[in-house]
Amino acid sequence: MNAIEATGLKKVFRGKKMQRVEALKEVTFSLSKGEVFGFLGPNGAGKSTTIKVLTGQIRASSGEAFLWGQPVSHPSSRQNLGYLPENPSFPDTLTASDYLRFVGKVFSLPQGELQGKITSVLSRLELDTTMKRPIRGFSKGMVQRLGLAQALLADPDLLILDEPMSGLDPLGRALVKDLISELRQKGKTIFFSTHITADVEQVCDRVGIIVGGRLQCVEPVEELLQEGLSGYRIYYRKDGTMCELPAAREDFPREMETLLSQGIEVDRVEPQRRDLETFFLETVERARYEN
Amino acid sequence: MVHTLFVARLTLNALGRDRVLHTLLGVSLVLLCLVPAFSLFSMRQVQELAVTLVLSCHALLLIFLAIFLGSSTLWRDLERRHTSLILGLPLSRSHYLLGRFFGVGLFLLLFSLCYALLAVIAVSVSATFYEADRPVIWMNLLAALGGDLLKAWLLAAVAFLFSTFSTSLFLPLFGTLAIYSAGSASQEVYEYLNSDFSSQISAGVRWLAEIFYWILPNLTLFDLKTQAVYSLPLDIPALIYPFIYGFVYTSLVLWGAEFFLSRRDLV
Ligand SMILES: Nc1ncnc2c1ncn2[C@@H]1O[C@H](COP(=O)(O)OP(=O)(O)OP(=O)(O)O)[C@@H](O)[C@H]1O
Ligand SMILES: [Mg+2]
Repeated sequence: MNAIEATGLKKVFRGKKMQRVEALKEVTFSLSKGEVFGFLGPNGAGKSTTIKVLTGQIRASSGEAFLWGQPVSHPSSRQNLGYLPENPSFPDTLTASDYLRFVGKVFSLPQGELQGKITSVLSRLELDTTMKRPIRGFSKGMVQRLGLAQALLADPDLLILDEPMSGLDPLGRALVKDLISELRQKGKTIFFSTHITADVEQVCDRVGIIVGGRLQCVEPVEELLQEGLSGYRIYYRKDGTMCELPAAREDFPREMETLLSQGIEVDRVEPQRRDLETFFLETVERARYEN
Repeated sequence: MVHTLFVARLTLNALGRDRVLHTLLGVSLVLLCLVPAFSLFSMRQVQELAVTLVLSCHALLLIFLAIFLGSSTLWRDLERRHTSLILGLPLSRSHYLLGRFFGVGLFLLLFSLCYALLAVIAVSVSATFYEADRPVIWMNLLAALGGDLLKAWLLAAVAFLFSTFSTSLFLPLFGTLAIYSAGSASQEVYEYLNSDFSSQISAGVRWLAEIFYWILPNLTLFDLKTQAVYSLPLDIPALIYPFIYGFVYTSLVLWGAEFFLSRRDLV
């Protein structure tokens, strides 16, 4: 069973004065268990709209979507889901532990384990000291961390995170990346949206790029990086000075051989690749051109 | 169904920490302390005036609370996008809506109970100043307070209904206020139209008024003040009918609210 299954999602927002905004034109993809999927797209591409459809916040104008085989219109599709909305906002007179307690109960966590889970998830996100404080007094990054905490509390197998790194400092970003890698290791399925290609490169198995409401491509990250490999740069020492030698992909073995046969000490080799960022920019460019 | 209770508890928890409500509770406490003093202004009807004051204050505060909390609870959740967190949980919209409503309803009930306790003290104190013709019938006083509570629940439900399809606070707030005014007058208008004084009024208007009479809540039903003030006997049907009416009307309104909320895009 796929963790996420979306077919032909379309969404038209109807504003005042009969304005029509086609936020999603065609989004079809699926995510199998254990995959980490990065959802890339420029501002206004439809990332959050897709996520809102998947989590039952808004209804697709057409198409259908399932989480763990259950239609997203049904609350039980979210029984095994942790969801972090974009810029989460909490009822702010409550304390972090009040709210997490509520979340735990909705997920039917056993009463006895609840407090332990709350403490551990808050400390994982480095929020332990703020447990008893009203959320009103939280900083932006703290609210974002609490958003992650509530998504992780019930230890769900699927996580849908809308820009999990937004509003976080470099420490927080590193924390979230660690967290994602850790969850991936545990076999959790993660779907997250972002603008930052480097994040995707580091933690994702596959990447989907959405532009103008249309999913342009879904590719395995590893393959993209391999395909994008244009050549290598060889650094070696000769007479005490550092030299560098660019080598095309197909020339690389021969160049190396020559150097080594001359008894030259090779210092290091760096792959030269078109990174995900370039690929992303190219995809966006192409999509915009085609429209 | 347990989900409803969790949401209700969350709601109550948040309301308990609300500063505006603390202020309001303080105000009502002061008002109640003043009742015995004010009731002395009436020379002979000290007890009757005390009961009237107590009941009027209660009705006023409760209706204010019902309209204010009813309008702002859902509206705030939708406006500040608390819903995207809460409804991102495995929680159905109808359980969420009912939970929010029960939370507000429970808060009104708790308020009413505290008020009733203090009201009994205030009236007892006033009654010692001048002996009334008839002693206070406490059941009547409680019934009258209960009537106000039923009315408040109904109005809170109406405010919830308005907030499910409105994007501004304006509609739930003033819409409910309008329903409250119309609902308080509808019985009188209906009786007037069916009396001899209104023979010249056209059939069309009469027909329209009839429709409104059946659609709008009849809030006069919940008014048991006279019996409480003058310690008149109160029969059981007089209590049961408003109770059933309030229950059915409130349920229907909530059902409507659920209908709209389940179709709304939470953006
Ligand atoms: N409620 C709404 N009414 C009208 N249009 C909307 C609404 N919500 C989103 N849109 C439009 O849908 C499109 C996609 O928006 P969405 O929020 O999904 O973008 P996004 O990819 O998440 O962007 P960002 O990176 O800025 O978060 C945008 O053009 C936006 O203007
Ligand atoms: Mg977004």
